[in-house]
Formats: sequence, structure tokens, C-alpha cells
Amino acid sequence: MRVIVLGNGLCGTIFAKTLRDINSEIEIDIFGQEQYLYYPRPNLIEFLAGHMPYDRLFAFSEAWYSDHNIRLHLAKKVEKIDPAAKTVEFKNRGVKEYDKLLLAHGAYAGVPPIKNVSISGVFTLRTLEDALNIQVYLKDRKKVAVIGGGLLGLEIARALNAGGAEVAVIEFFPRLLPRQLDARAATLLKQQIENMGIQGLLGKTTEEILGEGEATGLRFKDGGEIAAEMIVVAAGVRPYLDLAQAAGLETDRGVIVNAHLQTSHPDIYAAGDVSEHKGRVYGIIPASFQQAKNAAYNISGQLQEYEGTVPSNTLKVMGVHVTSLGLVNPEEEGYEEIFKLDEAQGCFKKVVLQNGALVGAIWMGTKEGINEINRLVAQNAKIGDHKTDILEDGFDFSQLKK
Amino acid sequence: MEKYECTACGYIYDPETGDPAGGIAPGTAFADLPDDWVCPQCGVGKEYFQKLS
Repeated sequence: MRVIVLGNGLCGTIFAKTLRDINSEIEIDIFGQEQYLYYPRPNLIEFLAGHMPYDRLFAFSEAWYSDHNIRLHLAKKVEKIDPAAKTVEFKNRGVKEYDKLLLAHGAYAGVPPIKNVSISGVFTLRTLEDALNIQVYLKDRKKVAVIGGGLLGLEIARALNAGGAEVAVIEFFPRLLPRQLDARAATLLKQQIENMGIQGLLGKTTEEILGEGEATGLRFKDGGEIAAEMIVVAAGVRPYLDLAQAAGLETDRGVIVNAHLQTSHPDIYAAGDVSEHKGRVYGIIPASFQQAKNAAYNISGQLQEYEGTVPSNTLKVMGVHVTSLGLVNPEEEGYEEIFKLDEAQGCFKKVVLQNGALVGAIWMGTKEGINEINRLVAQNAKIGDHKTDILEDGFDFSQLKK
Repeated sequence: MEKYECTACGYIYDPETGDPAGGIAPGTAFADLPDDWVCPQCGVGKEYFQKLS
């Protein structure tokens, strides 16, 4: 059997590795658009922060590929997939046949409609090439604006701040990490990033990049302006859909797959950031990882169903532990929110209850009790009598065990 | 000795078993792993590991 993998990111690589572990005979060819060996994208943050040297970005050496009998083809752009002929066609001629094809070519950084955004000095961070370009451009510049106060935006801000840049984070929502935090927790996080020397500008819509030829700043919808010599846009990622759509595969926000990671064509599978399963485009490593493994088993003939991935609830953002569980920002009536804020310790805890049952929680600045609170939220436990003291340090969770 | 989890992919480093394929002998504490050790499952650096609580 001949298997072709499009994409040499985490998903394509883990897929190939898993498939090879299951079966030593299948022919595996990986085609990557980038010119680099596989590197996990989180390493780019550490690289930009100056904490990780270039050589360490890469997970597996060229020798690893030959040892595993996996053929890796880099800097190869696929022009077309022909599901009827079961071939992929490459940009500079060349056609290759497959028996099974895995689409693992991922997603690209989205850029919102901002005037003048294609000017020099505006970057996204998705690929190693992006990171290298940022590094070069920043060499004799200092003032950076990061558009996007979500996870990636904050990580980029931390990295560039560690590298000596003066960084401002611009967020459209009135709080940082709008998906994970509520207003109070976000205020506390803002204080903490400001202590690190990173400015947080919230509730701001960037309307225009200022500068001619080269970026010199930003103008917001409210008329305000800030100076910036470099701008990094971190506004989420979008699956690459062109190839799949041109091949007639069913797509929505991603390439639609069933529980076996099969697309609407039975010999073509999709996994990782490009895929959409049960209406969800995950765009997170644990989901990519699980889908890569499931797809490998399915293609090898050992059927496995992908059951979805529960996104990890515990993050470490700018060195601060953030656990965000279930419903953290109820917008309708009928919920009770109880919190405890300790500004001096940088600690915030909150529970959200509905009819006495725990439906959400935020634990920030502490890891104490996170496993327990995680379990209680998952069970929608009734904690009526303990709804206040559960927030105390050293709370004895065994009282709540059934 | 404490176990550490890769926050990127969920791999768990258990000092008792070490990472023989990566040249790490059983009994090596996480803190004693070389700086250039990477997650054997997904390749991220040590920075992405968190102590399991």
C-alpha cells in the first residue's frame, strides 16, 4: 500500500510515525510545503525568546526518517488532488499515485481586514520562516505591537519582551484571554503582564497600520494611535481549504471528516488543524495528535473511532497558571458566581453555579486543587454548602467525595 | 520522583522508566535531563513540561 501525507507538521509526522510502528511494509511519503524538517510550533516561541537555539527546534533528524523508512519531501507544493485517479500533482510537474491520502497540511494565520496591513513590518507567527523574519526585522527595532490578546498573542508578547523588545498587546475584547477568563481574572493578568513591562490595550479595534513603506504605528477605531516599528498579528488560524475544495471534498470551516477521519472521499483522510469533526475545528496540539494516531490506525486497517478531544483546561500563560473550566462567563440569568481575589498573591478563584450545581470555574495563579475542581465541574457536582469555603486555600476536597 | 507531563501532547515523563530511546537511563529525575532533551512524542522542549500534581 502507498500512503501519501500532505504536511510535515505535528499531525503528518505523528501520523507517519504511528503508521510505521503499526506496519513496516506500507510505503509512506510525506510532502511538506516548508523547507524545514518537522519542528513543533510551540518551540518557535522559545526560539524567539532566545531560550532555544535553532538546532533544537527540530524534533527528528534526517536519519530518523531513513531509519523509519519514511520518505520526506520538503519544499514541495501540491497543486492538485485527483480523487478519481488517486494522484497528487506538484507545482513543478510530477504526479504521484496513492492508495490512501492524508491531508495534514494544516492552517495559516488569519489576518483581519485592517487598512495598510500588507505594508512591510507586519508579521504573523505560524512558521519557522515567520520566526526567522521576525528575528531579522527586530534586530534594530524595539517597539512592537501584538494584535490579539489570546493565548498565542500573549505568548508572542512574552517571547519578544524576553528578547528585549518593548511590547504592547492590543485586544478587541475588553479583557485578555477572553475565552478563558472573566473580567476580574483578566484584570489581574493584565496587572501581571504590565509588571513584566508589557502594555495591555483592551477593547481596541485596529483600523489602520500607519506608515508608508514601513510600519510606524497603529490607529484604532476610536481614533487613538500608538507607535510601533513592528506589528505581529495573532488573530487565530484558518484551515487551508483550497486543495480539498478543488478536489470536490466536503468542507465547511475545515475539511469535514467522520469518526474514522475520512473525508467525503473514502480514500482521503484529513487530520489536525485542517480537519473539522462534528462541527469543530480544534486547532490545538492534543486534538492533532489524537487525530493523527486514529487516522494511522484506520488507514492500516485497524479501525478506531475518534471521539473528539476535550481541550486542556490548564494553561501556563506568561508564567501564570490558568485553569478555566466549563462556563466561566455566564451571560444569562440563573447563575451564581462566587469568587475570591488575592491581588497580593496574584491569585483568583471563582466558581459558577446553576441551581447549586457547579458548572464552571476559574483557578488562576495557583495549581492547588485544580484536579479536584476539574473533576467536580465535569460531574456538575452539587457543592451548595461549600460554595464559599471551596475557594479557601487548603480546602479539604475530601468532604465533597461521594 | 515526580512525573512531568508535556503540555503540548500529553506525554508523561516518568523518571522510573526514563527515556531509553532518547539516551536517558531509568532513574533520571526530570531536573537532571539534559537541556537539549525534547519530548519523545512530539518534540517540544523541556520548557513545555509541567509537574504532574
